[in-house]
Amino acid sequence: MKAPQNGRGSNDVSHGCENRRLSGRLLAKSVPYAKASDGMTVVSARPSEWVRPVTSKEPASAIIEIDRVSQVFQTSARRDHVALSDISLTIEERAFVSILGPSGCGKSTLLYIVGGFVTPTSGAAKMKGQAITGPGPDRGPVFQEFALFPWKTVLGNVMYGPRQQGVRATEAEAQSLALIEMVGLKGYENFYPKELSGGMKQRVALARTLAYHPEVLLMDEPFGALDAHTRTRLQNDLLNIWERDRKTVLFVTHSVDEAVFLSDKVVMMSKSPGRIREVIDIDLPRPRRRSELLLDPRYQKYVVDIERMFDESDEAGIAS
Amino acid sequence: MSRLLSANVLLGIAPIALIIALWQGLVSFGFAPAVLLPPPGFVFGRLLQQLATWTFQQEIAATLIRLFAGFAIAVVLGVSIGIAAAASPAINAVVRPIVRVLAPLPKVALYPALLLLLGFGHGSKVTLVAADALFPILLSTYYGASTVEQKLIWSAMAAGTPRTQILFRVVLPAAMPSILTGCRIGLVISCIVVFLAEMITSTDGLGHALVTAARTFQAVDMFVPLITISLLGLILNALLGALRSYLLRGFPEA
Ligand SMILES: Nc1ncnc2c1ncn2[C@@H]1O[C@H](COP(=O)(O)OP(=O)(O)OP(=O)(O)O)[C@@H](O)[C@H]1O
Ligand SMILES: [Mg+2]
Repeated sequence: MKAPQNGRGSNDVSHGCENRRLSGRLLAKSVPYAKASDGMTVVSARPSEWVRPVTSKEPASAIIEIDRVSQVFQTSARRDHVALSDISLTIEERAFVSILGPSGCGKSTLLYIVGGFVTPTSGAAKMKGQAITGPGPDRGPVFQEFALFPWKTVLGNVMYGPRQQGVRATEAEAQSLALIEMVGLKGYENFYPKELSGGMKQRVALARTLAYHPEVLLMDEPFGALDAHTRTRLQNDLLNIWERDRKTVLFVTHSVDEAVFLSDKVVMMSKSPGRIREVIDIDLPRPRRRSELLLDPRYQKYVVDIERMFDESDEAGIAS
Repeated sequence: MSRLLSANVLLGIAPIALIIALWQGLVSFGFAPAVLLPPPGFVFGRLLQQLATWTFQQEIAATLIRLFAGFAIAVVLGVSIGIAAAASPAINAVVRPIVRVLAPLPKVALYPALLLLLGFGHGSKVTLVAADALFPILLSTYYGASTVEQKLIWSAMAAGTPRTQILFRVVLPAAMPSILTGCRIGLVISCIVVFLAEMITSTDGLGHALVTAARTFQAVDMFVPLITISLLGLILNALLGALRSYLLRGFPEA
């Protein structure tokens, strides 16, 4: 329990050993920091975060329950627009769940409801059995548009959450520096967001959210604005981070590859009105390596099957 | 960077030099009698001479106090009302009509009433300056605060910032570019209005010095306060510009 990363890894015994060996360059990079500086001060900052009871042997329990949620928007033409119709979905703790669907099917809206940013017209979303009434640090959003504070440096952005949580400045800074290093931005602490590339901004946004230790990550097409190469790298980095501390992730995307590559479960939605079409379990081994997975026939089958389902729904949509 | 800056400074000085040359030309070629339009060299010499005198320094001080006090009141009121109106629909409902009525009103029209109420001293001028500088600051603050990106606010709320603090932690800093643009306009207006007010009715200040000189046909002394107020405007604007580029160092295109 010397380094915080190891401490978090130990939450999940069944994956712990593999992770330490395989979780890739992010972990390899971040360990020396924890050794070089005094790792214990970082650990003592939020003891409850690192010393959690080992629960991985228990059956996975639901962390988010979405119960018959509908969302109706008033359009400017004074007409009702049903964005989400009767959505029910349960997300298990530590699962990586992707929401996949055509543009305008209400993916973002669903995510905002879980985030507590939008109140559904009917139905309710619950987090650990408690009705969601507003945003909270247990659910951390990462938006496609990054939404970094332009008046704060990289370090200032990442420190924002811990400072709001009442962590002392020196501790918040130490934790944030470690996180910035973990997302591969060491040396950019004092840059302003405008001085970073899109991929770097998204790394900062991820670090800023991870900094206040949300139990659930809500990611709305976080890599949608990035080029293919940056996107792949960030997907790998996200998987590495996730395989290490196994947060629950709700991930919105409209890329089938991305959804299959990352997720345990893919929720397919259909449009007008937004409904859940199908929930597909992605039964592929972890930790996942892109180079291996792309050659894996099971991966290819998932991608082809899901794409076919979309084509069918498109045809059905045209026919009706 | 610094070479680019100095090139820009040179380009900026050129038209000013041209005006002074034209001025000199008008006098030299006899288009205007030197008694009414004294040559620039003469005026600038007189300016330096005046700047050293206690009485002239007093005039500058009086003008500056009014300028700063009025401008400061306008900034405080404009920013707080603008933010409040953007944050609360109820306040917006109250503020919007009154701003619509008062903003286009020529505030100078209030000056006689202000003189009667507040006397010939600082009070009336400070109020007039504040009233004139208020609206550009208020309007641009309101605009900036009501167009803050929703996701910045959401990000802060998710990080644990309570709703009541969102205003200071997100809305105010995010609206800073618009606020400072409003302040810049407000500052120029303040310079104009303080001078105007002193010209209309005053016992001291640069505007008063100009009117006194004009009444006694002292053409040179008429130009000195004029140039002084332009120089003051230039200096204050540069200071505000420096503050702006410091405060907005993180924002694109600042
Ligand atoms: N604030 C709003 N007011 C009115 N209609 C809205 C609002 N927000 C979303 N909608 C509508 O709800 C529907 C779902 O929007 P949403 O943004 O959730 O879609 P999405 O699946 O995220 O699409 P995309 O993939 O393009 O991001 C759309 O038809 C949109 O027009
Ligand atoms: Mg969306």
